[in-house]
Amino acid sequence: MLLSFSEKQIGALFPAFLHIDKQLNISAMGPGILRHLPHVRMGMPCAEAFDIVNYDTAQFFQEGANVQPVSLIARDSDVHLSGAAIFHDAGCLLAVRFAITEDMFADSSMDLSDFGHADPVILSTMLIVLQRAMLEESQANAIELAHERQRSADLLERTSRVAGYMAHDFNNLLSVIRLNTDRLSRQFGKDEKIGKLAEIIQEMAARGSEITQSLMTLSLQRTDTRQPLSVDQVIQDNMGVLDSVVGSNITLKLNLDADGRKSVVSYSDFLNALINLLLNAREAMPMGGQIALSTSLGVGQSKSHADGDADADMAASGSYIAIQIADTGIGMSDALLARAFEPQFSSKPNGTGLGLASVRNFAAEMGGDVWLESVEGMGTTAYLHLPVARTVAPLVAAGSSPPNAGTPNALGKQRILLVEDEPYALEALVEMLEAEGYAVTACTSGEEALRALAQNAYDVLLTDVLMPGQNGTEVARDACIVQPSIKVILMSGYVPDSAALQPGWLFLHKPMESAKLLQLISG
Amino acid sequence: MYGMIHRAMRQMVQEELGEEAWLALEQKLDIGPTELLTGMVYDDALSLEIVAEAAARFNLSVDQTLEAFGQYWVRFAGQGSLSSIMKFTGQNLASFITNLDRLHLAVGSAMPGARLPTFSTLENAPGHLVVEYRSDRVGMEPFVKGLLQGLMDRFDACGEIAVVHRGEKTILFDIRYQDKG
Repeated sequence: MLLSFSEKQIGALFPAFLHIDKQLNISAMGPGILRHLPHVRMGMPCAEAFDIVNYDTAQFFQEGANVQPVSLIARDSDVHLSGAAIFHDAGCLLAVRFAITEDMFADSSMDLSDFGHADPVILSTMLIVLQRAMLEESQANAIELAHERQRSADLLERTSRVAGYMAHDFNNLLSVIRLNTDRLSRQFGKDEKIGKLAEIIQEMAARGSEITQSLMTLSLQRTDTRQPLSVDQVIQDNMGVLDSVVGSNITLKLNLDADGRKSVVSYSDFLNALINLLLNAREAMPMGGQIALSTSLGVGQSKSHADGDADADMAASGSYIAIQIADTGIGMSDALLARAFEPQFSSKPNGTGLGLASVRNFAAEMGGDVWLESVEGMGTTAYLHLPVARTVAPLVAAGSSPPNAGTPNALGKQRILLVEDEPYALEALVEMLEAEGYAVTACTSGEEALRALAQNAYDVLLTDVLMPGQNGTEVARDACIVQPSIKVILMSGYVPDSAALQPGWLFLHKPMESAKLLQLISG
Repeated sequence: MYGMIHRAMRQMVQEELGEEAWLALEQKLDIGPTELLTGMVYDDALSLEIVAEAAARFNLSVDQTLEAFGQYWVRFAGQGSLSSIMKFTGQNLASFITNLDRLHLAVGSAMPGARLPTFSTLENAPGHLVVEYRSDRVGMEPFVKGLLQGLMDRFDACGEIAVVHRGEKTILFDIRYQDKG
């Protein structure tokens, strides 16, 4: 025999071991048996304490030889043991272990001491139990993180809302200050002292305006103004930026032929859209190439509208400015094209997937459209269509005005329906506009404005947005129904939800400059 | 240390001083739920910062807090998701301590990167244990003493724990105890 072990050593390896002699009596047992099956005694017939599941007990020594698998069940309890029966000259060593399941960890009277140090089953069962515990903890972690995220989002949302309200109210006050300072300058500006004081007030109001811009940024409010912009002009004015976007190994060719026509867009959003489309083109040409940026005027439905997968706002207006950005890059597969505008989808390793998605949002908000066409290996062309801004509302001829309406421009003046619930701002605006030669009907509420619209025709509706009762966008919508040719200019310290705006409406951010307002009215 | 340790410290502070105290601690250290992820290994420096900040709030020294936390940890583990495995590790003080390394073996497999200590029972007589603690971490003596005290509480025993030797990486604890019953 190469090795010989004491009972204690065998007990350390197999705490539930049993030894039976040739007469089938128990002649030795491990500490686990002593602890958990106290009725089992030395010298007791094995068959009195256990059923040997896979042997006929009487034939045990005749059937078994060498090392065989064995399974036992204690007769007066539900303890199961399994392992190996090692036959030898003096009897048989049952090197068995207690059967264990995960559930027994919490309920059983057994513990680690009842299992051998090298028992692989116990280690793996412990691992399962531990991993289950970790999973439970991870679920608790995930719930906590989700709650925390929600709390943060709620807090941010509340802060944003408060900041937005504050900015709105402050902008209204600044607007009143600016407009009335303009009045002061106009009326008494010749007096050097008063002129200087007016300048100081204007400067302070401008600083206050910067503070509200910061608040608006904090509240995630947009602060830009939507205005009619010449697409060609914006591109020409920003050629330096656009050139640097495409990089030195790519040639940017321009062909601007939109005839100086304007679209009502946000300047910065339009520029961002152009930059994103150029970046996309650049990424398709890592070895360099050419990008052709062109503009033209189009009439009728754009491709996407014709396909019926977008609203028909622009198609209804009839004419659009078509901007094309064509690259000579690697092109895109149909599968890639189908997903190109999906948020957070990108074919580039470091792409955010936000560029084209933001262009699509911009186009939709402006009442336009964007899409890509591509041939693999040949290049991709991005088409961005924006509606042409309506020109100043044509004068309504006598007899074509609404019932009971006075004729616009009857006295050679453009007629402005002005709606503003802030009396000081209203007063200042009326005075300024009248001084510029406009015929102004002043209303302090949306309801009053709708009554005026039913009685008279107007060239321009200039309205505040947030007002008690009928708000400015509702008044504008009704005004466009009653008088479709009316030019709408919204003014607010808030940028209204783009969904509430219609293409062609102008938006002026408060606090506004008189000159800017006059430019929008006459532009 | 593992995030579970941080979670236990949070629970201890919340139980002893209230929810607000923990929120103030989180604010002071600029931490949040992302520093309390159970299976995440954090720098020991962060764990000790949390302990030090808790100590200031308990009005205790860092060592006193570590000892109290060691004691609390046993209760925390015994009540949470680890309760069944704690029960399975041992059903009396001597067997639990003797089997601690086997528990840690499984924990080490489930949490890769864990720097787990070892506990060797050098003497095991009725009412008397000599246990060698070995770790590459320093400064954990009060925590381990608290753990041993926590285990005595767990098994309804009372007694004395004395440090009889301090080596470079080892500490020898002499535990004399008796059942409270």
